[in-house]
Amino acid sequence: MGETRLDRSPWARFRVDRRAMACLIVLCLEVLAVLLLPLVLDLEPNVSDLEAGFWAPPSAEHLLGTDDVGRDLLARLFSGGRVSLFIGLTSAAISAAVGVPLGLLAGYRRGAWEFWIMRLADIFQTFPSIVLVLCLVTVVGPSASNIVLVLGLLGWTGIARLVYGNTLAVREREYVLAAKALGARTGTILRRNVLPNVVSPVWCSIPLRAGRAILSESSLSFLGFGIRTPQASWGNMIQYASNLTVLTTRPWVWVPPGLCIILTVLCLAGIGDGLRDALDPRFDSRRSRP
Amino acid sequence: MKRLIALLMAAVLALGLTACGEKKEPTAEQITGRYGLSNAWDSLMPYNSPSGSNYTRIICDKIYDRLAYVHADGTLDPRGATSWESADDGMAVIFHLDEKAAFHDGTPVTAQHWADTITLMTDPNCPALGRSVFSVLAGTDENGVALEGEQLGAEAVDDHTLKLTFKRPTTPEDFLLDKNREFYVLPTHLMEGVDPAQIMELDLWDAPVGSGPCKFVEEIPGSQLVLEINKDYQLGCPDFDQLVITVMDKSNLLPSLISGDLDYYAFGGNVSVEDAETARASGLEVVEGEVPNTFYELMLNCETIPSAEVRRAIDLALDKEALCLQSTQGLGEPTATDVTPGTEYTCSLTWERDVDQARTLLEQGGYDGRTYTLACTSNRSGLASLMQQELAEVGMNVTIETVDSAALFSGMADGKYDMAIASHTPGALPLWFTESRLSEGNNIFHIADLEPYTYYIEQISAASGWETRQVLLDKLQELLADQRPFIPLWFGRTLHVQSPTVDNIDYPSSSFSNENIWAWKMKEA
Amino acid sequence: MGRYLRRRLLTAIPVFFGITILVFCMLNLAQGSILDLMGEGSGATDADRAALAASLGLDLPLPQRYLMWLGDLLRGDLGVSYANGKPVAGLIAQRVGPSLLLTGTGVVLAVAIALPLGVLAAWKPRSGWDKAASALSLISFGVPGFFLCLAGIFLFSVTLGWLPANGMYAAGRFSGVADLIRHLILPAGVVCLSSVGELVKQTRAACLEALGEDYIRTARAKGLTDGAVMVRHAFRGALIPVLTTILSHIPHILGGSVVVEQIFGWPGMGSLLFSGISGRDYTVVMGVTVVIALTVLLTNLLLDLVYGLADPRVRYGKE
Repeated sequence: MGETRLDRSPWARFRVDRRAMACLIVLCLEVLAVLLLPLVLDLEPNVSDLEAGFWAPPSAEHLLGTDDVGRDLLARLFSGGRVSLFIGLTSAAISAAVGVPLGLLAGYRRGAWEFWIMRLADIFQTFPSIVLVLCLVTVVGPSASNIVLVLGLLGWTGIARLVYGNTLAVREREYVLAAKALGARTGTILRRNVLPNVVSPVWCSIPLRAGRAILSESSLSFLGFGIRTPQASWGNMIQYASNLTVLTTRPWVWVPPGLCIILTVLCLAGIGDGLRDALDPRFDSRRSRP
Repeated sequence: MKRLIALLMAAVLALGLTACGEKKEPTAEQITGRYGLSNAWDSLMPYNSPSGSNYTRIICDKIYDRLAYVHADGTLDPRGATSWESADDGMAVIFHLDEKAAFHDGTPVTAQHWADTITLMTDPNCPALGRSVFSVLAGTDENGVALEGEQLGAEAVDDHTLKLTFKRPTTPEDFLLDKNREFYVLPTHLMEGVDPAQIMELDLWDAPVGSGPCKFVEEIPGSQLVLEINKDYQLGCPDFDQLVITVMDKSNLLPSLISGDLDYYAFGGNVSVEDAETARASGLEVVEGEVPNTFYELMLNCETIPSAEVRRAIDLALDKEALCLQSTQGLGEPTATDVTPGTEYTCSLTWERDVDQARTLLEQGGYDGRTYTLACTSNRSGLASLMQQELAEVGMNVTIETVDSAALFSGMADGKYDMAIASHTPGALPLWFTESRLSEGNNIFHIADLEPYTYYIEQISAASGWETRQVLLDKLQELLADQRPFIPLWFGRTLHVQSPTVDNIDYPSSSFSNENIWAWKMKEA
Repeated sequence: MGRYLRRRLLTAIPVFFGITILVFCMLNLAQGSILDLMGEGSGATDADRAALAASLGLDLPLPQRYLMWLGDLLRGDLGVSYANGKPVAGLIAQRVGPSLLLTGTGVVLAVAIALPLGVLAAWKPRSGWDKAASALSLISFGVPGFFLCLAGIFLFSVTLGWLPANGMYAAGRFSGVADLIRHLILPAGVVCLSSVGELVKQTRAACLEALGEDYIRTARAKGLTDGAVMVRHAFRGALIPVLTTILSHIPHILGGSVVVEQIFGWPGMGSLLFSGISGRDYTVVMGVTVVIALTVLLTNLLLDLVYGLADPRVRYGKE
């Protein structure tokens, strides 16, 4: 079986992974839903319906009821999803875009590269991330794009360290030494020999990072430093559950955003696993042991 | 390798355990009252608190003694003083101090302690904070600093008679309602010979000695305070032995009370209407406060919103009924004025919402469609977005900034924000709100010309007799309604969750930063 | 090894100063200072604020304030809190123990659960263990910390009445290990849950990775049993990435417990930090930062040393 699998392209391998494909499809549907449905259904997330009243229970008019200001919770679920998915995906992408190249360079080139990159990572990593995030958010102001930048730029160190640690081990490997001996250029070696062998833990950490960013935004909301009202996010919607009454008597308020977050994280994780399996043909975590 | 990890973990755990476990021995069986607080106090020295917040006041209320006990409805009970009377044609008040009062080290409290405390705190060299409270006394400047060569208006007539002399005629009731929560007696006998400039450096404030109903035991600043009940307090003592005050997130206060892990939480076990249902469902009793104890206002920046027409338009555009309902769920009364209802002073102005009139005024005022910034704290973001919609209806654009209260007040002071939502504990005096805010020293509304306001404020302060004051107050309120430097929103009342374990708590009075802890009694189990 | 160690120590020094400058600037750029909080309760006047500013030295220029603070720091003095005038070192000393106890217990629990579960999940993919690992990391990654706290309080304190809902001790002070443990279970459980997910994931991924290596094939070829291969070889090969994750968790958790400490009223560093930030008590935030920075520098050092110990090629690679 190894022979045939190795022959196929990563995408072909990913495509036959039913679970990963299902996750990808669900995530795409989610993205489409939050982008298109509000337009189609003509939902207004930021307008109060004072006739329905505050904290109205689900009804035909408001399928998920209304919030503390009388706004339609379904509409807010969609517009909140837009913000949360944006925060999660973009910030994880920023972290990876910064962290992977820096980690590779530091681990492979070593010397001055290693020194400066890892010292920079040290400086960033020395802080508990929430401190930096809180401080930076007080400085730049709490908007969705600022939070994405702050979370994304502060998240690179974990990925860089992961890549760096693996690169250290891989750079002394026979196939890398062989490529070097054959006179391949550094860029080529990094891309063809090192990257594929160090990147698999990154693939499973990126989706988790995206999920964590969504939750970080929620913690920020809880501490009063979240995105600006009246904008909704899943993070600040689940926040309603911090009130005992809402938690116990109005599950329709916090269960949908909670489920959305979990579903998103689940899909992202499934995609991450699928990607890793597809990109690293040496083993297959799902079907059998190598 | 595994051993290394195990060792590391064990070390961490051991370190943590020893650091927590050291120095503390199990004490004899003591009954503990557990008290929850959602924000921390800062200093245990009442005149060294940068925030001057109610959280600090309610803690100092336990350790130090005050002259009187103020009820929520404005009535007064004896505390450090057993009685008081006006003297010198209303220019002074004489307090007869309780002879049984004593500091926690056993030293009796005398009038000299009170006079010395005030002398020390108004000393120009003493770095006391928030001492502008003393500026009502004769012999001080407008910041409460003693003037050289003048007689300070605080003297001990004899051991148990204290005489306070004011700059203006002041009744004992007016003085106590306004200032009682800021007048504490300090153990000046422990500060003898100390340079006033060094007062705040004393070790005394790490383990303060007061003459209040509780004695200091130990503190984890910002998180926990352990107090021992002062069994010799002149008004009596509760039937438990120590009080443990824990700071926790407000979302855990009610759950902790229900689960029996708290006996009471400040202030007055207040809950929203919604949570009251949950509390009732859990078997707790909830009582409605009778006196308004919150006042909401929309602060305006008169520099960036220079037109009085535009400011009046904002007032007309707001649906105070809906805002009040959203915030208090029916426990509030919309208002057109800052004069507290239910007090002896009244105001005949009424509020209304008039969208068309607001539009016209906006046009007259030359509103150019610019976007104003409305600041609020995160727990009021719903309120802010409701206002945003109401203002949009008359054609005014507003963006909301949710900020913490430090940024909110600094932003208003710097003129960074155009509007901000704030709430206050209302007072019974006619100038409780306006006097401090419409002044040069604290012109938070950025009013270009304070003169017309200060004119009336001076007059009202100086006037004697209810009638003259009421007439002048009406004029001031008319001026405010015409200029609208701030928009009064509503007065709200509070629901108090009754402690399942402690009886006799005077819940509403905690809004005046005092609690009758000496009267608390544990319920029979 | 000595030279390696010395070099790592020397590189830590610029990092340390970089950190202090960064935080100092950041905090002083934040809107509002402690002076603005004065107006809140009472009508504080400008004179009151000026008095406070002068007493705290806030009227001095920024670089001078930084140098003064740094000078004190080098003498081992972290300064006094703006809010209550107490020495910051003392405030932190009071908080370190509870914090270490809470986060230490949480992380130890998480490691104790994650390592075996991760190995089992990698050993037997698609088994019940694998599913349990997935479910656990889903909860860990999908549910916000404050929700876990409040749901825990609601379930175990309000409804069942088994565990206390707040604080560290029932009577304000240590009165026996049992009491402490009862108070510890809920918050430590939340800390554990919120960090266990990443650990399980990393352990599982690293073990799977290791199972693909040549030496495992060799071990198998030697006829070792699956279990022996797993524990003796695969797990050992997986240790570096797992250790990286564990150690990189320590600073994160120290600060990450802000929410947990805040809700449970646990007197740890997290709640000190949060009240410092929201109360603009810069000296406290700086002090906590220095302490955390030192801790993390030390763990990073340890991490590099462990790399060196675990893999001689790193140690002698390019010294």
